[in-house]
Amino acid sequence: MFLSVGVRFEANVEALNMVETAGNYSKHRRVPYLVEEDGRLKTVYVPALSGESLAHAYQEHLVREALGLGLPVCDDCRRDEFYKSMNKVHLKKKVNPIPDDPRDIEIAIVRSCVVEDVGGFLYAEKPPVRRSSAFQVSYALPVKSVALFATSEPQLHARHAQMDSSSKKGNASEQMIYYVETGTALYGFTFNLDLDAIGVSAITSEPILDEDEIKTRREAALRALFRMLSSAQFGAKLSRFFPVGGITEVAVAVTEHPFVVTSPIYDDYIARTERRLKVLEGLGENYLFAVATGEKVPEEALKEAMDYLREQGAF
Amino acid sequence: MSEYEGIVKMLRFFVQMKNFGYVDRIGNALNPEPVEVTLHEALRAFRSVRESAPVDESGRRYVEKDGKKIPVPGIPTEEEIKAFLDDVRSDIGVAKRVATLALAYPSKNESGGDE
Ligand SMILES: [Zn+2]
Repeated sequence: MFLSVGVRFEANVEALNMVETAGNYSKHRRVPYLVEEDGRLKTVYVPALSGESLAHAYQEHLVREALGLGLPVCDDCRRDEFYKSMNKVHLKKKVNPIPDDPRDIEIAIVRSCVVEDVGGFLYAEKPPVRRSSAFQVSYALPVKSVALFATSEPQLHARHAQMDSSSKKGNASEQMIYYVETGTALYGFTFNLDLDAIGVSAITSEPILDEDEIKTRREAALRALFRMLSSAQFGAKLSRFFPVGGITEVAVAVTEHPFVVTSPIYDDYIARTERRLKVLEGLGENYLFAVATGEKVPEEALKEAMDYLREQGAF
Repeated sequence: MSEYEGIVKMLRFFVQMKNFGYVDRIGNALNPEPVEVTLHEALRAFRSVRESAPVDESGRRYVEKDGKKIPVPGIPTEEEIKAFLDDVRSDIGVAKRVATLALAYPSKNESGGDE
């Protein structure tokens, strides 16, 4: 089973993805974007959130959900440090001595950590072992039709420090000014989850775990997505720049084989996704398409998808 | 390309700081907009870095990176920036050449700092 979610969220004055600081200026991630204006294409720079940032947040939620369901998570991942068994030092914590056969290495890693099972890993030693992530996530980008209204603007802040009498400036309150570039936009991103890849070897395509454990891991993967979207716990600087706004729309498609919803950066993404699914249905594939716009809240659409997956025996 | 010496030196400073973002974006630009935006960002960052950089005995600004003193060059002049952007508008190849020069070793011993 394959799940694909298109998410639209409104975020006003957010600092969800900062890229670098130069002196007292910290910059928001920005990407070039092609937009049409008066029949002509032009490049504009818009605020964005990287897929890496969203993936990190998802995996943090996955750690918690997996532990909540009594599933194994390795020590590195438990601390939200996703080294992913990248070298001998990290792999030895899972299996010692390290096996020679790549298949045995994969089995050892998948068995001992749900995050690396679902999120993939790259063991970059001899022999190298790679496992693709079972979930995929796009950058979050402003919705095309309103991209020209997206802004990234620096906000001035001040930090105060009490200077003692030994310092040059005397016993006065010293302030340090700094700028945080904030973004404001209606964003869209896509999240895909290949449930069939969980607990299954990327090398041999054979199951590594027994069916019950695979099902529980799938449940953890779904719950993590649910929690991430429902709690809006993704991105950086939430402590002082928690975005004002929230999820405005979600569209969830559950299919038997890989299918990705039309990107929510397009205004007609729901209608287009529906049409594409209808064609798939004509080819004999069952699906569920749950949409939350206006009336329905995002959680309702997500739950519908989870209920459907449970009925289908996915978990 | 010596007319864009100030821009080249500024970009080279970022390269020495192991910050390749600006030089890559300018060098890879396919149209003038990214060059303009990147130059704006680079100048903004450069001013911030420069203003907080300490001054050595000979009066030159520098930044320490991995134990090495990297001289901070002067800020490119308004005329140079304007000429460069105009030039880029008519030939995007100019941006690639400036970025390429910034990645090369300087031909003579550059003093950096405040010339
Ligand atoms: Zn792990």
